[in-house]
Amino acid sequence: MAFYENTIIAKQDLAEKDLKIVKDKYNELIKKFSGKVIKIEDWGLLNLATRIKNYKKGFYIHYKFEGNNETLKEFEKKIKIDGSIIRYLTVKYKKLDTENEFFKKDKSINEKKQ
Amino acid sequence: MKRNNKNKKRSTNSLTKLSLFQKNDGKFSRKCPLSIKNAPVVDYKNIDLLKRYVSDNGKILSSKVTSVSQNKQKKLTREIKRAKILGLL
Repeated sequence: MAFYENTIIAKQDLAEKDLKIVKDKYNELIKKFSGKVIKIEDWGLLNLATRIKNYKKGFYIHYKFEGNNETLKEFEKKIKIDGSIIRYLTVKYKKLDTENEFFKKDKSINEKKQ
Repeated sequence: MKRNNKNKKRSTNSLTKLSLFQKNDGKFSRKCPLSIKNAPVVDYKNIDLLKRYVSDNGKILSSKVTSVSQNKQKKLTREIKRAKILGLL
């Protein structure tokens, strides 16, 4: 078992319902194939530095999970077929840090909670 | 003894160079900004940091310019390339 980080960029013109479906779909897919989802981060709509498949913006979804070779294979297989995803990136880690979040949407809310 | 002290001061000051081939020490040797204590994390999500080590055209700056250590420069290039794949840089 190893730790992975996966980010996917979904198309800009998706509705909120479709985004949730995409998000839950991969969450369940990891669980199905003997994986364990540690954290899901929603970075929201961000500007792309360069055009990717003629899109200027994209929704970023970030997964942190634990799994083996099979989970990754199945995960990437489904992403490649999926038409609503422009690009993805997986990175393998020995340790995951779940504390740092570089893409916090609204810091004011988090500060109030503390 | 007094003479010795004077000589030492001279050698540290780079402006008082005696010849062209003398080593210019002290002026350009900066320590690596990424290997100090409490240094920022080099990660593809940390864009604010990575932006500092990329030129306006999106090229990676050399370690001669930024004085990053060899080990950290390797990590930097890897993370910058990852960020470029995701369209963050």
